[in-house]
Amino acid sequence: MALDLSYKGKEIAVFTFEVDRSKIRELCAAIGDPNPVFSDPEAAKNEGYADTPAPLTFASLVTFCGCPGIWDLMGRMGIDTRRLLHAKEEYEYLAPIYPGDRLTAAISVEALRGGAMEMASFKTTYTRGSAPVLVARMTIIVPPAPK
Amino acid sequence: MGIRFDSIREGEELPVLTKPEITQLQLIKYAGASGDFNPIHTIPDKAREAGLDGTIAHGMLVMGILGQMLSAWAGPGKVLKFGVSFKAPTRPGDILSARGTVKRKYEEPGKKLLDCALRVEDSQGEVKVEGRATVLAE
Repeated sequence: MALDLSYKGKEIAVFTFEVDRSKIRELCAAIGDPNPVFSDPEAAKNEGYADTPAPLTFASLVTFCGCPGIWDLMGRMGIDTRRLLHAKEEYEYLAPIYPGDRLTAAISVEALRGGAMEMASFKTTYTRGSAPVLVARMTIIVPPAPK
Repeated sequence: MGIRFDSIREGEELPVLTKPEITQLQLIKYAGASGDFNPIHTIPDKAREAGLDGTIAHGMLVMGILGQMLSAWAGPGKVLKFGVSFKAPTRPGDILSARGTVKRKYEEPGKKLLDCALRVEDSQGEVKVEGRATVLAE
């Protein structure tokens, strides 16, 4: 199935996710990051945070856990999700994310290219109330299918 | 308790973080934690069906290891921008090190900033992830 280039510039998903203290701990445990700033509210306060902040790659968890249909959405765009490779991931941090935050995330297709090496770039803006807290950009590529 | 701008010089290496060997169990834990259940990371047969010779780590786990190093050095709240390009797959058994260098120190109105070049490589020196970050100093 060819890539449907009409998705370029379109918003493909909006979802909400409530940040849970245990998800922050679970992500740190899986990475093997023992930094107490992510698990101990007192340690976090001593470092100047209001509570234990989310680690730097938490936004990816918000997307996969808050929007588990992301693979199907990509499939609908004509992306062969069995062959896709994650090429780039970029974050801009506008405010710390804390346990109890209710985030709204909007995913849009920022760039889309067909051809032998297909490419798609997604921009996700995470907001708390009316304030954006994080902007993420993910680029994936789909190499040519083996003959 | 952040990084002191005056104590940093361009070209300075960030403290290196070397991790224990990546295990298949860690990839299973990472899948469950992150919600990324692409089976190429957890089920060897599915990875082979996708043309790989076995499971590979989630790219985001490797970025997470770089984030661990960056957070330990600067504090997570001091990182303004953080981005990576994925260069080579990581497999169970790989021993990864996260490294970085301060490339540029500069001031903007009210801000002291450090641009850092980052990378994760295995014990053979193969670069898995290349990245950059902008960090707020004091």
